[in-house]
Amino acid sequence: MAITIDKEQAQFLVRLADTEMILGQRLCEMCSNGPFLEEDIALSNIALDLIGRAEQLYILISEIEGKGLSADDYAYRRNEREYFSIKLVEQPNTDFAWVIARQYLHDVYVKEIFTQLLSSKIDKVAGLSEKVLKEITYSHVHARDWMFRLGIGTPESNRRLQAAVDHLFKYAGELFAFDSIDKKFLSDITKLEQGWKSAVALTLAEANVKQPEIHKIYMRDYREGFHSEYLGHILSEMQFLPRAYPDAKW
Amino acid sequence: MESGDKVWEVFIQKKSGLPFKHAGSVHGYDKKMAVQNARDAYCRRGEGRELWVVPANCIVSVPMDEAEAYFDPQEDKIYRHPTFYVIPDGVENL
Amino acid sequence: MDKFEAAFNDIIAKDLKVEPRDWMPEEYRKHVLRQVSQHAHSEVIGMQPEGNWLLRAPSLRSKQVLLAKIQDEGGHGLYLYSVAETLGMSREEMINQLHAGKAKYSSIFNYPALNWADMGAIGWLVDGAAIVNQVSLQKTSYGPYSRGMVRICKEESFHQRQGYEIMLHMARGTKEQKEMAQDALNRFWFPSLMMFGPHDADSAHSSKAMEWKIKRESNDQLRQKFIDKTVPQAEFLGLTVPDPNCKWNETTGHYDHSPFNWDEFWAVVNGDGPCNTERLDHHKKAHNDNAWVRDAAVAYAKKTEGSLV
Repeated sequence: MAITIDKEQAQFLVRLADTEMILGQRLCEMCSNGPFLEEDIALSNIALDLIGRAEQLYILISEIEGKGLSADDYAYRRNEREYFSIKLVEQPNTDFAWVIARQYLHDVYVKEIFTQLLSSKIDKVAGLSEKVLKEITYSHVHARDWMFRLGIGTPESNRRLQAAVDHLFKYAGELFAFDSIDKKFLSDITKLEQGWKSAVALTLAEANVKQPEIHKIYMRDYREGFHSEYLGHILSEMQFLPRAYPDAKW
Repeated sequence: MESGDKVWEVFIQKKSGLPFKHAGSVHGYDKKMAVQNARDAYCRRGEGRELWVVPANCIVSVPMDEAEAYFDPQEDKIYRHPTFYVIPDGVENL
Repeated sequence: MDKFEAAFNDIIAKDLKVEPRDWMPEEYRKHVLRQVSQHAHSEVIGMQPEGNWLLRAPSLRSKQVLLAKIQDEGGHGLYLYSVAETLGMSREEMINQLHAGKAKYSSIFNYPALNWADMGAIGWLVDGAAIVNQVSLQKTSYGPYSRGMVRICKEESFHQRQGYEIMLHMARGTKEQKEMAQDALNRFWFPSLMMFGPHDADSAHSSKAMEWKIKRESNDQLRQKFIDKTVPQAEFLGLTVPDPNCKWNETTGHYDHSPFNWDEFWAVVNGDGPCNTERLDHHKKAHNDNAWVRDAAVAYAKKTEGSLV
């Protein structure tokens, strides 16, 4: 049974929910693989925030849709074409520079989004945004500080960060290809785009990293459930148990 | 210790009005990292509202050889404690 | 005997705590250091078998709980490395010893985690056994270790419940889930009992450690405590403890058990367990592949905080 999402409000929120879910899963991969123990613990904290946020959003989506599905149903029983995460967060943990650059670019983006959602007409969305913004502010500071450490640190760390940023910027274009749903629920899409671009430009300049161009996008948009090949692998691992034992409760 | 990997002592204030209490130590390469690491390691369960980190090598302590000289002479100064004074029955609020 | 040694003996006799600056016999320092280092490495290596199921945790709740638990283990490793640092050994040195095979960790983590019920069995049995040991160590004579144990025991109180909750779901779930639960119990039962170490009569370090109050209860005492409280919990789950001799003994007031397979225990301790190489390689790889990150952090701190002490 395919799970469809029919209400526009839910279609908007599921983009955020899936993005946070997939990034949380990517950060789970870092558990016991960090550069030192303290940073391992820090990344786990951020992952916990992301997964908790996804869960809250799925609960809201479930309430809006009113089909009696649980947050777990939304996370575990949709396939890649039914997922709406941004391609940026599907990118792998190639090295620590990728982890940091991906986190930073994501954090600036969702920080702008949740700031706009503070004035959402739906009380629960506004309330959630208030809580979530504190988490993102912390994560954003953590990622930005590491952007500086890696960018300014050594020639090698600068080279690795530059390579990560160059790759990840391929997926920046689609962030701003807003459709009618985005326009309906975000208060100011121009501000979002400009806010992201100016904050990122400032950080990259301070971190001695050259800013790649944002190309016109020739690939299809995540808003249509079009992804990188990574997503299928992420989901097959994540969804293995509920898919293999559909009758089991966990 | 790897060069540059510093140890920082962590002090946490649980609520305003309470003193900062030593919680343990944490590693960190710079000040901002140290305070973030302290938050992630020692405040996972809402233990604090404020944090201090101090480079461990900046803490000065009493030399072991002189500990007796530092602390023992205070033990017989019992007149510093209220129980030293005898107040007759019937005097209140003193 | 000089006044420092007398002071040390007095601390031990009166059940007070030895603090880092106090004089202590070199052998005492070494013993605490060895025990704390092994304890710290166990927490850190112990992240791996659970990490093996983190990406496949079957619900949002179980994923968050498991991640929080693994994160706690990292945190506890950190607290314990700090304790060892008060005795003069840096974390880097401890990691080098681990990588060189000179420092040990609990051999239970050299067993693989093969199905989701293992996440239950690890929390219930492995953490359960560790908690029995750690509760006892709250009274250890070395002050920083004792304080670390108090903090760790407080934080770990949810770990065993988390494990038991998974076992409960599995044991009351579908036929396949129940089979996974029994399978996990079968594989983890004896290894978790052997976590307490050799029998008292065969234990190389125990007697001095008891005399100095580093350890407060013997391996066999702690093990029996654990068996006595765990067998009824297994019965409640409707699972079978994989030991036909595990029966209540009216005379001793304890559960009996079969002899343990110490050959297996020593083989695993000495490197021949199912996952010894994998666990160590995993740790080395994360550490070595990220050397450039630590170098960058050092260089950045020098450039931006050059004068910081």
